[in-house]
Amino acid sequence: MSLTALLVDGLTVRFGSFRALDDLSLAIDYGEVRAIIGPNGAGKTTLLDVISGITRPKQGRVLFDGAIDLTGLSEAAIARAGLRRKFQKPSVFEGLSVRQHIAIGADVGFRARLDAPALEDRIGEVLETVGLVDHSNRLAGELSHGQKQWLEIGMVLASDPKVLMLDEPVAGLTDEETERTAALVRALKRPDRAIVVVEHDMDFVERIADRVTVLHEGRTLFEGSMAHVRADAAVVEVYLGR
Amino acid sequence: MNLTRLTAVLAGLLAALLLAPSARAQALDRAGLIANLCGNASAMGEAASVLTGLAMSGDAADRAFAVPLARAVIDRKLACDDAGAVLTENGLDAVTRQPRAAAGEPLTPVLSLKNRATYEQVDAALALRAAPEASQRAAALKTLERRPALIPEGLLEAAAAAEPDAGLKGEIETLAQTAALTAADPAARIRALARIADNPSRRALTQVSALTADPAYAASPEFRAAVDDATVRIGRGIAVGDVLATAYNGLSFASILFMAAIGLAIIFGLMGVINLAQGELIMIGAYVTWLVQQGLRVVAPSLLDWYLVLAIPVAFFVTAAIGIALEASLLRHLYKRPLMSLLATWAVSLFLMNLVRVVFGTQNLQFETPFYVTGGVPVIGDFIFTWNRMFAILFAVVTLALTWGLVRRTPFGLNIRAVTQNRDMAACIGIPTRRVDMMAFGLGSGLAGLAGLALSPIYSVNPQMGQNFIIDAFMVVVLGGVGTIAGTVVAALGIGQINVLIEPLWGAVAAKVIVLLMIIAFLQWRPEGLFAVKGRRK
Amino acid sequence: MNRFGLITHTAPIVHLITLIVLAALLMAGLAGTEFALSRYLANAIGQLAAFAVLAISLDLIWGYLGILSLGHGLFFALGGYLMAMYLLKHSFEITGTVPDFLQFMGWKEFPFYWDGFEFFPYALAAAVVMTTLISGLFGYVSFRSRVGGVYFAIITQALVYVAMLLMFRNDTGFGGNNGMTGFTVLFGWPMGTSGMITALAVASLLVLAGVLAGCNGLVKSRFGALMLATRDDETRLRTMGYETLRLKLIVWCLSALIAMLAGMLYVPQVGIINPRVLSPELSLEIAVWVAIGGRGHLVGAVIGALLVNAVKFWLSFAAPEIWPFILSGLIVLVVLVFPNGLMDLAKFKLVRPMGPKRLASDMGEARP
Ligand SMILES: Nc1ncnc2c1ncn2[C@@H]1O[C@H](COP(=O)(O)OP(=O)(O)O)[C@@H](O)[C@H]1O
Ligand SMILES: [Mg+2]
Repeated sequence: MSLTALLVDGLTVRFGSFRALDDLSLAIDYGEVRAIIGPNGAGKTTLLDVISGITRPKQGRVLFDGAIDLTGLSEAAIARAGLRRKFQKPSVFEGLSVRQHIAIGADVGFRARLDAPALEDRIGEVLETVGLVDHSNRLAGELSHGQKQWLEIGMVLASDPKVLMLDEPVAGLTDEETERTAALVRALKRPDRAIVVVEHDMDFVERIADRVTVLHEGRTLFEGSMAHVRADAAVVEVYLGR
Repeated sequence: MNLTRLTAVLAGLLAALLLAPSARAQALDRAGLIANLCGNASAMGEAASVLTGLAMSGDAADRAFAVPLARAVIDRKLACDDAGAVLTENGLDAVTRQPRAAAGEPLTPVLSLKNRATYEQVDAALALRAAPEASQRAAALKTLERRPALIPEGLLEAAAAAEPDAGLKGEIETLAQTAALTAADPAARIRALARIADNPSRRALTQVSALTADPAYAASPEFRAAVDDATVRIGRGIAVGDVLATAYNGLSFASILFMAAIGLAIIFGLMGVINLAQGELIMIGAYVTWLVQQGLRVVAPSLLDWYLVLAIPVAFFVTAAIGIALEASLLRHLYKRPLMSLLATWAVSLFLMNLVRVVFGTQNLQFETPFYVTGGVPVIGDFIFTWNRMFAILFAVVTLALTWGLVRRTPFGLNIRAVTQNRDMAACIGIPTRRVDMMAFGLGSGLAGLAGLALSPIYSVNPQMGQNFIIDAFMVVVLGGVGTIAGTVVAALGIGQINVLIEPLWGAVAAKVIVLLMIIAFLQWRPEGLFAVKGRRK
Repeated sequence: MNRFGLITHTAPIVHLITLIVLAALLMAGLAGTEFALSRYLANAIGQLAAFAVLAISLDLIWGYLGILSLGHGLFFALGGYLMAMYLLKHSFEITGTVPDFLQFMGWKEFPFYWDGFEFFPYALAAAVVMTTLISGLFGYVSFRSRVGGVYFAIITQALVYVAMLLMFRNDTGFGGNNGMTGFTVLFGWPMGTSGMITALAVASLLVLAGVLAGCNGLVKSRFGALMLATRDDETRLRTMGYETLRLKLIVWCLSALIAMLAGMLYVPQVGIINPRVLSPELSLEIAVWVAIGGRGHLVGAVIGALLVNAVKFWLSFAAPEIWPFILSGLIVLVVLVFPNGLMDLAKFKLVRPMGPKRLASDMGEARP
């Protein structure tokens, strides 16, 4: 297995004449938790959109596992390759129960492939991880905002993804919920998994991230540890405020 | 435009002015004419030529005097006596037209076989020029048609110039061309060919191509060349006319489509709502126009001709008010539920259509046709530049300009564009989005009302009429993309022209099928329509 | 509780299916006795059952998949027309009656594409193949280019409209604007007898029960959960590894086939088919039945179709001209006050609650 999970190579995305991503390159390794930060409109979500196949880049490519070019694949094919993503806006299926979400996430296909007990075990395990065991039969539409965030995380991690992308997982959560989410992310860290977290909350990032990439106007401004980020003059200038 | 035709008419007028005094100068010898009619065969022949001259160029009073004479001779209703002759039909003296009885033993002149044909021809010629009823003139034309070679040169041209009935005038002109083409003099025939080729039409083409079977075509190279040349020129003229006519019809259809679709497009762009009642708003616009016409009939009959103009503000504001009421009472609550709003607007459409049906009945409304939408100018080939279509085109152009100005140049338009692009952001910076929705819905509905007005001179107006336009209008919106005026214009032009191009080949239904298939195929390539800005999918 | 965590106490749908089957058995049992229903009533029940099947077909894609079709009349008509072709050809074989429209056109015999329609299995196969082909092709190009929401609704409406214009033409060999009528024999039995009317009604009821049971099984399965997931957030599901295009295509074709089946049941009972079943109004009305009954509930779709059409049948004698006004009033009421149709009434405890509660806000409706 190659050490680099995702290699983003010279990516450019344009909306009209506006460049949301501008010749962006970066590499994310297995076993790391990478935080991507940057001011609003920096292109963080757009980057995740390209990786997950929702947006087609104008130039550049995204290599997964050192070999598979994701830029030509459909969203579903990318997901089946082992990449999962939580959206910035909580995206759950309002008409389905919590269990159904996890079942859909754990076992991809129109018909179930896992046998019933195995699936039940998996569902129980995931619900335990995201702390929704008590809500397993409720409809997603009835959950609170924080519970929806966790449900979505549970749904994407149920498949044991190799690359897990979380877009603003603690936006709108209480301090206590943020705390639990941070613990959850740390617990998900594994040598054969890369975790990408897009976030604004600096303290949260500091607690979870091994390395931080700062995006600005579609380009990498800085890459390094959180301590270095805080010390970097350019980052302070554009992002943290002077 | 057709300059040749204009010059010909002017020249004709000029000639008539110059000739008129000289014709009047030689006064008709009425007694001498009657004497000749009562004379021997050769005298009668002379009389016939005098009568023919009258038919062609004589004084109107003399012509009126001559009209009954040929008929009376043919029917043996002329009693010649010593004092002249009496028309026995009504007992009038042939010369003075005073009542009197024939004296002594009156003689009735008998026509020789040769003269009989001449007199029939003379009678018809006179009737064509001077009979009061169009039907009598038409009958006379039929008689003349039987022997085109005998028609005196110039008679038909003069008759056509004076003919008030447009249909009959056309027939006279055709006969004139036929007569000229069958003339005995080869030079005259070639001249006639050149004249015909100047005014290309399908009729002319049939006439000219028939000449290839004429013996002269094989015999005389000049004649052959003239015929071939005329055929080519007429063919070219017809082709040009057809292209122009197609483009013109397509343009007028596109104008109607544009008018029907622009309101739909604005509303769709703004609220994501397709207003299925748009067709009924068009219909109501047409009904309001009709009501304005009826009102004027009662209140100000002198202004009746201008009802189409006077109805513009009324149609706009009535439909706009309906639209605003609709938005405020119904659609406002369906914001973010576009599929339900489809059903809701359909309910409105059903309601309005049936309401109009109950109030006004199902029959087509009768509209006056004011002079400015009557007739047209024949241009080339079969292409007639008709005013009613021009009215629709101009109307659409003006509407386009005003709508464009409103959306691009006014604060209200700025608000519409802002809300269309990003509703939440617009709300954040203090744009009253609900008010904008309401006003924009009013605008879109008012535009539908204007569409109804614009098409009332062209299409029939009844409670179901909205249905005919609404699906085409959807197609325009789908093709043009959400909420762009430019997209709507281009899509309307495209769909209008394609419809008109396909229709003559395979029929109206095939045109609709093909347009729909093309749009579905097009959406494969650009799912968001021609001019839409791509939004974030998630 | 089943594997997907749905509550499975005896649901109203089970009651409804039982009720329909019982009604069918009762009608069959009473046939020929003095307690038998009048021919008119039996016929009306049969037609209502066909409409209920049609409503289910639309609910399947609108209620469960969030795709509104305003052109489902197309598939209904397809089934109807092919059934009518079978009936005419079959009647001709047995009684020698030449259909009116052939006589109008001055044609001596059936056009070649009518060959084989005297065999019912052939007609049925033709209907299935054509419906699958048309719906599959149209669905594929639409879903592939991700046309959805209002766009899809409008294009389906244009589709059914264009089909209507085509069928109005007299030279197509499908009856033109007069349509096809004069069916005399069905499966070798004379039509129009009380026995035949009852048999058709019973068959329709049984088909309705079967379709209901089948669809219920589908929507309660894992596949059904995926349908709801597609409705609620298609991109989300796609980025979980599911080819929603295939899922939508399968359900869309299935829905078209059910609509076709409804058409095949309907035509022998009304005795005529003409291009008016292709009018956009009928297709819109189907959506209204479903909306009134409550989309996303099979029971709701059936009740909506039955209620609306029962009122319509009754009014078409009492006061046909006020029907459009009542219909538009009903729609506005449903849209503004009861967004989930009769299912909202169920919440007010007027009726027993049915199925899982759904949010009144928008099921699968996204702004375009
Ligand atoms: N579909 C789109 N059309 C036009 N502009 C877009 C679209 N998606 C994103 N953008 C623009 O691209 C820029 C980057 O957006 P995004 O990646 O969401 O930023 P963020 O870093 O806050 O997640 C923003 O300015 C946004 O407005
Ligand atoms: Mg973002």
